[in-house]
Amino acid sequence: MRILAFLSLILVLTSCDDDDAYLVELNLNFEHHVDNEVLVFNEINYENNSDEFYSISELKYIISNIQLQNKNGNWFSYPVEDSYFLINAGVEESLIVNLSGIPNGNYQNIRFGFGVDQSNYPLNGVNNFVPTAEENDMLWSWSAGYIFLKFEGEYQLVDPIAPENFLYHVGSHGQNLDNYRTVELAVDLDLNADTQLDISADVSKIFDATHQMSLQQKSDIQIDPENAPKIADNVVEMFQIQMN
Amino acid sequence: MCRALYVLCLLFLLVACGSDDSSYTDIEDENRVLDFPQPDFFPSPTYDLEANPPTEKGFELGKKLFYDGRLSSTGVISCGFCHIQEFSFTHHTHIVSHGVNGALGTRNAQPLMNLAYMEDFSWDGSAAHLDAFPIIPITTDVEMNESVGNVIEKLKADEDYQSLFAAAFENENIDADNMFKALSQFLIMMVSADTKYDKVMQGNAVFSEEEASGKAVFEAKCASCHSGILFTDQSYRNNGLPINPEYNDIGRERVTGESDDRYKFKVPTLRNIALTYPYMHDGRFQTLSEVLNHYDSGMDHTENLDPIFINDNEIGIPLSDTEKSQLLAFLQSLTDDNFILDQRFSEF
Ligand code: HEC
Ligand code: HEC
Repeated sequence: MRILAFLSLILVLTSCDDDDAYLVELNLNFEHHVDNEVLVFNEINYENNSDEFYSISELKYIISNIQLQNKNGNWFSYPVEDSYFLINAGVEESLIVNLSGIPNGNYQNIRFGFGVDQSNYPLNGVNNFVPTAEENDMLWSWSAGYIFLKFEGEYQLVDPIAPENFLYHVGSHGQNLDNYRTVELAVDLDLNADTQLDISADVSKIFDATHQMSLQQKSDIQIDPENAPKIADNVVEMFQIQMN
Repeated sequence: MCRALYVLCLLFLLVACGSDDSSYTDIEDENRVLDFPQPDFFPSPTYDLEANPPTEKGFELGKKLFYDGRLSSTGVISCGFCHIQEFSFTHHTHIVSHGVNGALGTRNAQPLMNLAYMEDFSWDGSAAHLDAFPIIPITTDVEMNESVGNVIEKLKADEDYQSLFAAAFENENIDADNMFKALSQFLIMMVSADTKYDKVMQGNAVFSEEEASGKAVFEAKCASCHSGILFTDQSYRNNGLPINPEYNDIGRERVTGESDDRYKFKVPTLRNIALTYPYMHDGRFQTLSEVLNHYDSGMDHTENLDPIFINDNEIGIPLSDTEKSQLLAFLQSLTDDNFILDQRFSEF
């Protein structure tokens, strides 16, 4: 009996191959830049709009809730429980987000979340992301919440003085303040041909986008109801689709 | 054509599976959904019982996890080590709770009961959902000092857990989601609503004169914060405890980053209060008399002291000796003996 069931399953899976609704894979490739150059950790001093020179030692963030909108305007949601990913700009393997089971077709928009959505939390299997977040130090030690972004390095002013550390850690503040954000980008994806989507992130935007962040004013931002939401706003703007 | 084939195959699948795979239905029959013990005089639960309905097997698994030292790095500190049923699931041989290798925490273990009605968890609300709460004790170095990932690996290697997870959850997975769900199933079933107070409210008992006077004092002076049937309005407030420089615990500000929340802590329930000494977030008071003395004359005017305590030129809630003993009598009526003896929640 089991064999029969199995056979018919195979039949189900293969019989629709010719339909336009068959399922394909898509890789999201994340690349990190500062202004127009590929991000290099530690060695290079970049400059932000507040005339501060900074180098980057760590950049990690969580993305989630991936959705694609087809040409008819319908949204396909990637299964939420499988939809949490940790991007670590310093770890090659984490930069490729492999999605499978996507209906083949043409898509015009992609949406994903920055961080973890509290309205879902902690349903939909988000707790299964805990071990990954934990291994990557993306949990606050004293609270049951995720750190959405860890961005760290050193900075100094124009005058050559000893560099100081900076540290931005952004997450939601209990049920008080939600720093989850949604990123939406226009794409031109034909999954009959394309198997990959390149998303580039301009890291300098974390300092300078909607809000201008100055390290001199505050270089250690963690649970900060004034500045953490600004950083979250800026992060949303750092993503762009890379056209090949 | 494809669609027709698909439907046919699906039909076939259903038939093929339905005929002899009776083991499936057996498991489902066996794993009964438990009746949530909702008292009619309680509010409706905040916990989403539909998303994670307590079942017989899930509860059993949750209880095993709760009393299992393997959730800690040293293998000996279980949840039940700090949350002891006799004391309404608190811990009071030490003022602040202690964890692996005797490491001291900075906070007093909270009682575990009526958690299905809470909006968020811990003294400062650092967990917004019960299913996520266990991350904190498991990973905190002064508590269990473990990692969730490592706990899962230990559970996967254990045959008892393999069969328990399989029986408790449809997807049969041993993963963090199911582990936390099982713990929640166990925890939310701990409803404590069978005190003398409840019996009196239901018309099945009467207060002594002392208790009745205590109730009146309580309603006049305490019930604005310790309000309603749960004896808490679930807000965060500063009740004027002098700052303990050893910890300088900023309370709710740690979660929100708001200086307006400095030194505010969750208004605790007062159910089973006679059992849950020591008192306050850092366990500074050993007895309820000390607590009452604090409200009467022990307050410091620290930042964000609740305005209720600020009168013309005095702070606090003046209480006469008579009122104090009346209050003590009333607070004793909030003890639920059946709860602390309930075998369903006991380790052995
Ligand atoms: C080392 C002692 C210790 C251990 C072990 C421990 N707890 Fe706790 N528990 C505490 C303390 C202390 C608090 C108060 C925490 C705070 O406010 O920061 C607490 C609070 C809680 C709360 C919040 C109650 C409320 O009303 O908000 C829950 C739920 C809880 N613990 C469940 C657990 C579970 C489940 C485990 C096992 C995975 C566990 N605890 C292990 C000491 C401990
Ligand atoms: C303005 C709000 C407010 C009022 C009024 C108030 N309390 Fe409290 N109570 C609190 C808060 C907040 C805490 C926890 C403080 C902490 O641990 O930092 C608390 C703690 C307690 C505790 C310790 C509970 C435990 O589990 O450790 C007891 C007992 C208590 N209150 C009794 C009373 C009594 C009796 C009165 C009336 C005389 C009263 N309270 C009035 C806010 C209030």
